[in-house]
Amino acid sequence: MSIPKRRRRELRASFLMTAPFLFIFIVFFLYPTFSVIALSFTDAPLIGEGQWIGLDNYAKLLNDRLFYTSLWNNLYFVLLTVIPTTVIALLIALAVSRLKGRMQALVLTLFFLPYVLPVSVVTMIWAWMLDFQFGILQPLIAAITGKPVPVFKNPYWVMPMIAVVTIWWTNGFNVLLLIAGLRNIPPDLYEAAALDGATPWQRFWRVTWPLLWPITALVLTLQLILQLKLFDQVYLLSNGGPFNQSYVVLMQMYREAFQLNNGGYASAIAMVLFLFIVIVSVLQFQLLRIGGRK
Amino acid sequence: MKDAGVHLRGIKKSFGAIDVIRGVDMDIQRGQFAVFVGPSGCGKSTLLRMIAGLEDTSDGQIAIGDRDVTHEDPADRGVAMVFQSYALYPHLSVYENMAFSLRLAKRPKAEVDEKVREAAGILQLVEHLDKKPAQLSGGQRQRVAIGRAIVRAPEVFLFDEPLSNLDAELRVQMRLELARLHKALGATMIYVTHDQVEAMTLADTIFVLQGGYVQQSGAPLDLYDDPSNRFVAGFIGSPSMNFLDATVSGHGDNGVTATLTGQPDISFDIPLVDKPAHGARIALGMRPEHLQVTEGQGLRVTVDVAEELGGVSYQHGTLDGGEPVIFQQTGARHGMHGTIQTVTPDPGRIFVFDAEGDRIR
Repeated sequence: MSIPKRRRRELRASFLMTAPFLFIFIVFFLYPTFSVIALSFTDAPLIGEGQWIGLDNYAKLLNDRLFYTSLWNNLYFVLLTVIPTTVIALLIALAVSRLKGRMQALVLTLFFLPYVLPVSVVTMIWAWMLDFQFGILQPLIAAITGKPVPVFKNPYWVMPMIAVVTIWWTNGFNVLLLIAGLRNIPPDLYEAAALDGATPWQRFWRVTWPLLWPITALVLTLQLILQLKLFDQVYLLSNGGPFNQSYVVLMQMYREAFQLNNGGYASAIAMVLFLFIVIVSVLQFQLLRIGGRK
Repeated sequence: MKDAGVHLRGIKKSFGAIDVIRGVDMDIQRGQFAVFVGPSGCGKSTLLRMIAGLEDTSDGQIAIGDRDVTHEDPADRGVAMVFQSYALYPHLSVYENMAFSLRLAKRPKAEVDEKVREAAGILQLVEHLDKKPAQLSGGQRQRVAIGRAIVRAPEVFLFDEPLSNLDAELRVQMRLELARLHKALGATMIYVTHDQVEAMTLADTIFVLQGGYVQQSGAPLDLYDDPSNRFVAGFIGSPSMNFLDATVSGHGDNGVTATLTGQPDISFDIPLVDKPAHGARIALGMRPEHLQVTEGQGLRVTVDVAEELGGVSYQHGTLDGGEPVIFQQTGARHGMHGTIQTVTPDPGRIFVFDAEGDRIR
């Protein structure tokens, strides 16, 4: 068989194999993405055509005080989740990796279990557990603060509690990534370090931590992106309240699009959040890489 | 403290119900190069790791010099180990890899620098100090691993199959370097290998391990000339010794006559002090290099494979009864492939083993 003929065959096969993905990607991802970009320059309602208004939506957004409140709440939530969840996942991963065989699989499954639950179930569980009147966690809160707290109706408690729920829900996946990272560190290195006179603490800081750093950086970046996209938990637990204390950017976008029928403005919000996530995560990833190289 | 050797007394190790080391005594004198050799699974690496403190000792006592270190931490034993995988810290430069133990001990910078540079000088690593392990070749990585051990100036160096990840040519070269290093440092070294050529060339003393016991220990040529059992005889020497089943068919004044099983026309007169009974079943061991081609009576070998190595050639074949036999020829191009050759062992070079595999002298 001549070489060009074989190449044509390979090309045809590769096209056939990627075609289903390409079709779905173009119809359900690429086309909507471009539509949103186009929509953000119009005053279109949710359904139907709109007038081209240039950058007016973006100008309006920059003067929207609610947008800054939302953005601030997003950053507050990132602060409450990204580093804490990574630290907790690392501690759990270090503990779990000391277990052997089936015991390790069992404990890992237990930690991973919440991750398989849909968000509606997660929020339902926690809404009940933290219920002001009947919640089984209220005695605990009462023991600490002196009185029961309606956590999702209290402006100071609402974001930290949503953070707790989110960490409980998503932590298993981070544990899994970090366990995989820990397993990649050859046991010889710990033996060599033990012979070199390293204490367990030094073994962690001088062997585990630097070698696990690429995975830790990955977890931090994935978490940052995921937590900036916060919507479901807020929508289901507090609906942005009280006093907009849990109002986040996607919440605002949702309300503009599906409740106030401002398709163009909502698209602009989505675009700004998208650019914000890209810039912040690229920036963070670069910073983490520099940190790891040192 | 003149004695800084390594002394093991009644060492045992079990993993659960499996006994890996079943009672080992050994004395390695200060400055000796000792080699543990044996087939895989014989416990040689486990024994080394017990000396290093990386495995707990189930029973017995390990002493380094005058100190009982059986239950000491690895770092307090005064040993340094070179791993088969090198176990270099991939995130640290060559310099920092070698300086690692000194940094942990918080030694002054000048001392660290002096020791690392000295070791790098010995091992020709000076130009590579700033590189990461991934940028080095296998042989260079191996040298960094050795350098990391040298920097600690231990009483005892432990090597766990350090050359088995290198290609054949580099292995020979590193073998020589290790021998030179041992002379230069004069430290006690314990080396684990499954390669009996490495063992023969490097060792002052070889310990042949099998089944959790030391089968025999001694100078390399003593093991070669005078193996104490069939296992050692077969393990030391390459290609390995030929074993032929035989029966004692007669007693002489200072020996016995042994007749090959299944080939009553071939018998040998063997000088022995401790003569087995008439009719006893024994095994005769003959090294390939002690079988000579002859025109007269002897073993008739049908050669089916000839390995011509240039300087020597090994002729692989079978006897009439089907027993495999290897004999060595000096030089090459004998063209023996497919022919029947008659070979006879050098007188006095036949080893006799009883049915249990113990040597009869």
